Amino acid sequence: MQAIGRRSLRNSTPRESPTPENDPLKPRRWVRTRGRLAKSPLSEFSDTDTETEAANQNHFIRPATPKRYSKTFSNSGSNHTNINHILNNSRYANDISYSNSHIIMAKESSAKSGSSKGAQNKTDQTKNKSSGSSSESQKQKSQTSSASGINYNDTHWSWGVFLLILVLGVGTRFYKVEEPDHVCWDETHFGKMGSWYINRTFFFDVHPPLGKMMIGAFGYLTGYNGTFPFESPGQKYNETKYVGMRVCCTALGSMLVPLTYLTVWEMTESTSAACLAAAFILFDVGLLTLTQYILLDPILLFFISGSVYTSVKFYTYRNTPFTFVWWTWLVLSGVFIACAISVKFVGLFTVLYIGFRTIYELWEILGDLTKPITYTMKHFIARAMCLIALPIALYVTFFYIHLAVLNRSGNGDGFYSSAFQSQLIGNPLYNASMPREVAYGAMISLKSQRTGGGYLHSHWHLYPEGVGAKQQQITTYAHKDDNNKWIIKKFDEPAPKLDNKSAPIELIKNGDLIRLEHIVTKRNLHTHRIPAPVTKKQWQVTGYGENGTGDANDVWRIEVLGGKPGDHINVVSSRLRFFHQLQNCILSGTGKQLPKWAYEQMEVSCSPNHRDVRKSTYWNIEENHFPRLPNVSFQVHAPNFIEKLVESHTIMFEGNAGLKPKEGEVTSRPWQWPINYRGQYFSGSTYRIYLLGNPIIWWANLALLPLFAVIYIYHAWKEQRGYEENVDIKAARDKTVTVCGWLFVGWALHYLPFYTMGRVLYFHHYFPALLFSSMLSAVIIDYFIRLLISTVSFLKDNGFFHVMYGLTLSTVAYSFYLFAPLSYGTSGPLAVEENSTMHGLKWLDSWEF
Amino acid sequence: MRMGVKEKSKFGRSMMEERKRGRSLLPSTDESSEGEHVTNKKDITSNAASSSIKSKSRSPTAAVPSSSPSISNSKNTQGSKRTIFENAEEESFWKISFEIDIVAVGLFILAAATRFYNLTSPNSIVFDELHYGKYASLYMRQIFFFDPHPPLGKQLIAASSYVFDRSYNGTFKFDRIGSPYPDWVPIFGMRFIPALLGSVMPSFSYILCREIGISMTFSILSGLLIIFDNALLIQSRHILMEMPLISFGLLSLIFAIKATKQLNSNKSLLFVSISAFFGTLSLSVKYIGSFYLAMSGFIVFYCFWSRVVPRKDFGAPQLLLKIGTVYLIFFLTFLATYVSIFYIHLSILTQAGPHDSVMTSAFQASLKGGLASIIKGQPVQVSHGSQVTLRHALGRPCWMHSHLQNYPIKYSDGRGSSHQQQVTCYSFKDVNNWWIVKRPEVDNLAVNETKDVIKHGDQIHLVHGMSGRLLNSHDVAAPQSPQNQEVSCYIDHNVSMPAEPLWRVEIVGGCGGVSQNSEGCEWHAVKSMVRLIHVTSGQALRMSGKQLPKWGFNQHEVVTDRIVVQDDTVWNVEEHRYTKSEKDREKELLEAEMIPTKPTDLSFRSKFWELQWKMLISSGSSQTESHAYASFPSEWLFLSRGIAYWIGGSGTNAQIHLLGNPVIWLTGSFGVLLHLVIVGFYLLRRRRLCFDIDEETWSTLLLQSSICLGGYALTYVYHFCVDRTLFLHHYLPSYVFKIMLMISTLHHLNCISKYSKLRYLFSAILLLWIVFVMYAFSRFLPTSMGFPSLTRSELEALKWNQNWDFIVQSNSP
Repeated sequence: MQAIGRRSLRNSTPRESPTPENDPLKPRRWVRTRGRLAKSPLSEFSDTDTETEAANQNHFIRPATPKRYSKTFSNSGSNHTNINHILNNSRYANDISYSNSHIIMAKESSAKSGSSKGAQNKTDQTKNKSSGSSSESQKQKSQTSSASGINYNDTHWSWGVFLLILVLGVGTRFYKVEEPDHVCWDETHFGKMGSWYINRTFFFDVHPPLGKMMIGAFGYLTGYNGTFPFESPGQKYNETKYVGMRVCCTALGSMLVPLTYLTVWEMTESTSAACLAAAFILFDVGLLTLTQYILLDPILLFFISGSVYTSVKFYTYRNTPFTFVWWTWLVLSGVFIACAISVKFVGLFTVLYIGFRTIYELWEILGDLTKPITYTMKHFIARAMCLIALPIALYVTFFYIHLAVLNRSGNGDGFYSSAFQSQLIGNPLYNASMPREVAYGAMISLKSQRTGGGYLHSHWHLYPEGVGAKQQQITTYAHKDDNNKWIIKKFDEPAPKLDNKSAPIELIKNGDLIRLEHIVTKRNLHTHRIPAPVTKKQWQVTGYGENGTGDANDVWRIEVLGGKPGDHINVVSSRLRFFHQLQNCILSGTGKQLPKWAYEQMEVSCSPNHRDVRKSTYWNIEENHFPRLPNVSFQVHAPNFIEKLVESHTIMFEGNAGLKPKEGEVTSRPWQWPINYRGQYFSGSTYRIYLLGNPIIWWANLALLPLFAVIYIYHAWKEQRGYEENVDIKAARDKTVTVCGWLFVGWALHYLPFYTMGRVLYFHHYFPALLFSSMLSAVIIDYFIRLLISTVSFLKDNGFFHVMYGLTLSTVAYSFYLFAPLSYGTSGPLAVEENSTMHGLKWLDSWEF
Repeated sequence: MRMGVKEKSKFGRSMMEERKRGRSLLPSTDESSEGEHVTNKKDITSNAASSSIKSKSRSPTAAVPSSSPSISNSKNTQGSKRTIFENAEEESFWKISFEIDIVAVGLFILAAATRFYNLTSPNSIVFDELHYGKYASLYMRQIFFFDPHPPLGKQLIAASSYVFDRSYNGTFKFDRIGSPYPDWVPIFGMRFIPALLGSVMPSFSYILCREIGISMTFSILSGLLIIFDNALLIQSRHILMEMPLISFGLLSLIFAIKATKQLNSNKSLLFVSISAFFGTLSLSVKYIGSFYLAMSGFIVFYCFWSRVVPRKDFGAPQLLLKIGTVYLIFFLTFLATYVSIFYIHLSILTQAGPHDSVMTSAFQASLKGGLASIIKGQPVQVSHGSQVTLRHALGRPCWMHSHLQNYPIKYSDGRGSSHQQQVTCYSFKDVNNWWIVKRPEVDNLAVNETKDVIKHGDQIHLVHGMSGRLLNSHDVAAPQSPQNQEVSCYIDHNVSMPAEPLWRVEIVGGCGGVSQNSEGCEWHAVKSMVRLIHVTSGQALRMSGKQLPKWGFNQHEVVTDRIVVQDDTVWNVEEHRYTKSEKDREKELLEAEMIPTKPTDLSFRSKFWELQWKMLISSGSSQTESHAYASFPSEWLFLSRGIAYWIGGSGTNAQIHLLGNPVIWLTGSFGVLLHLVIVGFYLLRRRRLCFDIDEETWSTLLLQSSICLGGYALTYVYHFCVDRTLFLHHYLPSYVFKIMLMISTLHHLNCISKYSKLRYLFSAILLLWIVFVMYAFSRFLPTSMGFPSLTRSELEALKWNQNWDFIVQSNSP
């Protein structure tokens, strides 16, 4: 009732067009409005199919009544489209095809018995009867909708088809899953990381932990003991129980097929479109290859696919909000997006996609003037809880498990701060016992406090010609080795020998002048007024001198953060700064990567800016070897979980940004992906596996994207011109454009951002986008076949329909048959040679099989 | 607020209506009073378009102001639009009437006073004048140079310097920032164009603001803000590219909006064409200018879409034809302008120069001097017995090279090598770059009367000229890229490793005609691009891009690669001659003749495309080395870092430091947020059918928002997506939009506060703010102009933000 007031208010605004009664051009537009204002048009509607119409009426009076296919007040910003949508929805409500689902929902709500699947199943039997009656009623009711409307006769749920799809999906994926019995491609990384989870040794990787944790868990559950080294691709597994891990990954990967089926079915209600989409996923050899091995991708794709399905499914319950099923699907979609982003950061695009969908839904709800504003707030809060708070909580939980499981020292230690490392069993710092205080002559290692900063390092190499003075390089290096060791000595005298028992022990005090001597090369830490190699406005730091004697530019003043003059220096906990005595600059690990001549280690410079209080100018002593002082087992201030989480992320992001292509490296470019330009070898030499999309499907996807654009433009043109046309055709097109629009957004979100990325890209980054692209193609093909049938009169009999689907499916299946050896593995001659089984299939020169 | 639904709705409705009635009067009164107010005072001639708006907005039927390309719902307002079109003045296409906007002229004069005042000071190279001045000088000397930015800006500077001083011959070396200009360098001429375009920019901004429905006062304010911004002032006073870029861009937008106001008359075609012209000029200064062009195109399109497409009095074909014509003209203007700029560029620059090596051999050969002089008179067809140098054709220029040193037996990582003779790619001309093409089955290398020409698909041996060894590859990991095969000159070490010296010649991209089919093509020197395929492995000879360590004299590594189709596997013959007789081979090689001659011809089309391609490539492979004053886009919002442009030398603190007017800058950033909040608030309210402001104010606001916010977002967000060194001045195009966005926000706030008590508060704050802007401008003027020199303590006081690194000389007062 409130809405009526608002609506009439809107009528009074000056830009309102003529009232429906005197505008002959738009006979149908105001039906719904009148329906809401007056009762008479409603009575027209409600004379035949009582069940459906009851739902329809309920829609006006109590919109919360379960009913699927009437969006209440619809989506877009402008008001006239609202009305159009309502109009369309009334079409839907009276359409043959959609009436079934009303019955489904009506049954669900009234009987509340069994699951929705059960109810849908039941309607199979009632289908004929009800569609017959409602088609009659439709003819009576609407003059504009002629018999030429596009019929979605197969909108019933078919268990048979679904099971077939499921069996085929699982069958193709599991066929030859244990072959080859050697390490394929990135299995060498992810298998190894799985092993590390089983062994609980700490490591560093640029991806979030969930995927690898799952691989570890799969291995653990299937009896793999974590001992296989996964050294390089091609290594034989022999006795290793690797099949379990593969099977689990493959199981997740094979779920893509049914999930796609379900997603498209929920979006279009068309079994044929759903079938096509599932077939496109099923028969793509690229997806098959990618989801058969111990990789993150099957897990990632499963979660992405799952997020999309759950959110689409959730949307279908929009008219029964806050019910149990509604909450279930909302929570599930929150869980899935959390999982997707916890496998790889690419999942972020999925989160964005779900985010856009959610904003759209909220916008729809906000436009429903029959509901108070608090109702929108309720919806907003529910979604914020389930799609923001819950995923964050899950993500953090995964990290908690990750950090709790990996409690032993491993090869990733050096990337993390000393405090972090002291938590790892087996790390030299764990329950470390070393002198608490630092004395002259001690052998120490210095770690930069910059997040992810390494150890102060030097080696037997000079700065090259043209990069400052040609003296020995000083860098920071994240891994532990002997070149990180320094001796700390007084500025004016050599250090006492470590094993000299008679020398007095003199502790270093805050403010002392010192020299640092590199143990291996016996050169002193030195700086001078020459620009540093990368950070040009700071000074270069070098190793200088012979056997520990240098010059006056080797003298540094040591200062402890917050320390008083004369304080002693403590291991790990003291935060130190090194001021250069002559140049008056601060030793700083800038975190910039040096070129190849320095083995891509990080730059060290001397910053003349005294106000530079960034962490990069702070250092701490990590190791302290001095036999004449008593070792103490000191308890470091252990970082809490939040600190560890933040530190891990900073390091991960830096790692990701550091994955830059080297000069001359052939990297895959995003434009190559959709055209299937070049694949990727999974396994070389004797048993070849080559990741390449099924060219038929990929090129069809490529061709259908512009076709979608054409339909979209055509649709927009028709709308904008305000053409009168057959309502059914219009409704079908409207629906197709909406569905495809969302799929297109999904594709674009998972594809276009790669163009802006500077990091190394690979072919397999396209596969999340491919899922959307394939679904889009299926919906478009389905729409066109139906359009042909409904518009060209002699194609009307069902024969054509079946022939077209048969043709499409068999083409795709046959191309799968042709290209399947790529993923199931081939041996023997290359495809260019006459006697190869793949001869004649090398359609592009750039393919390498 | 828990009332009954019914009561609430009634209550709400009456409230709404009252509010609407009160407000709906706003804009018309605003417009007219504003107009009268100004007309009385300043007696301005406002242009025809804006006066027609006023007349229409007073008429009760017109719901949508014609100043907007109608953001609003089209169908509901069709009736009203029809009236607009009927009323549209039928102006003759050929009649051009001049109008002078005194306000715009006034703004120009004020701006010119600041921009031109003491323009030649400082009389030394300031920041990027180093590059642009150098390029302008190269134009004077007609020497070819390569720059990833398009040439228009440099052309304008060269042209104006030529106009002001014809005697300058371009010989001044722009060697380092701060070195003084001698008096024969026309520094005023060079700085004239940026200063001129910087002076007209405030007027453009004023006109644009007027066009999108901002009131006179606030439009003038936008011009003033641009005048009183220090960063824009600095950029206008030196040989820099931002002013041409932004000014042309604004002009393009102005004409696009003008075009949308006269969609019915043929003048719209003219305006669209002018808009495309200026957009292209902007794009030809820097490629970021393409955003202006795109925006102009989109504005025109949107106007068609929302106002013309729904009209029933046009048939669909007629409509499509109309849109097609407009875009054809748009596109043709763009194409003609862009291509002519490059035509001028390439026809002026005819001499070989320092950047030649970036281009292909064919391109180089078309320039006077340089390569053309070397390859003059050399035979074309590569045949058996040809002595050639093989250039890595695309990407880093280097020539295939070998020398008597072998690969080390063991590399530092412990792998072994074949210990055969090294083959590398060397970036300098050298006698060791010569190779001899040989048929495998023929031994005598001398070229007879009947040349045995090598064709596509032929198999050859390549003999290294100085050592006489065969180019070879085998299944041994290459030194730096272990995944590829090593390439060597074959030495038989008797270790059962047979020679595999057979290479197949594959010519890329056809015989030079239109056809891409290379079957039967002959291998030609300079022009043919070839791949050399190692026959036994099927891999292609490739420059890996990696540098060899010391044992390889830091030359570049050559390998074979499984991935055949890539740029790094393409080679071409650069120098070429026939072996006269077997005996004198070495002697011939050592006496490479150098006869300077005329260049070969290369069509403009192929030069144009090659240049486009190289520019694309080089902007893709970015320069990521960091600069002391480089900054990140997120730092621009709050002006966290400046750039030291110039310092006056020891003993004085005179300096130019690029910093915007901090007051405008920070309030602008805040204004973006405020604007988003305002528009978001209205959007949400309208979704609930609560109309807080009337349709006209709303659609004007939306128009302003979409142009200013759209322009701001496009030009700003773009920088997050590029991967190269960025500087504060990259923000300036966005900054100009930001100023206009702030103006539009202020204008709107002024509109809605006009009839409440708040208006005094609003005006007071506004005045205070303007005073503050002026104060900040004058405070930072010394570091913008470069004079007078400030003392140490004054500079310290100017450091409003601790990150601003003004340079204080140690011996300064």
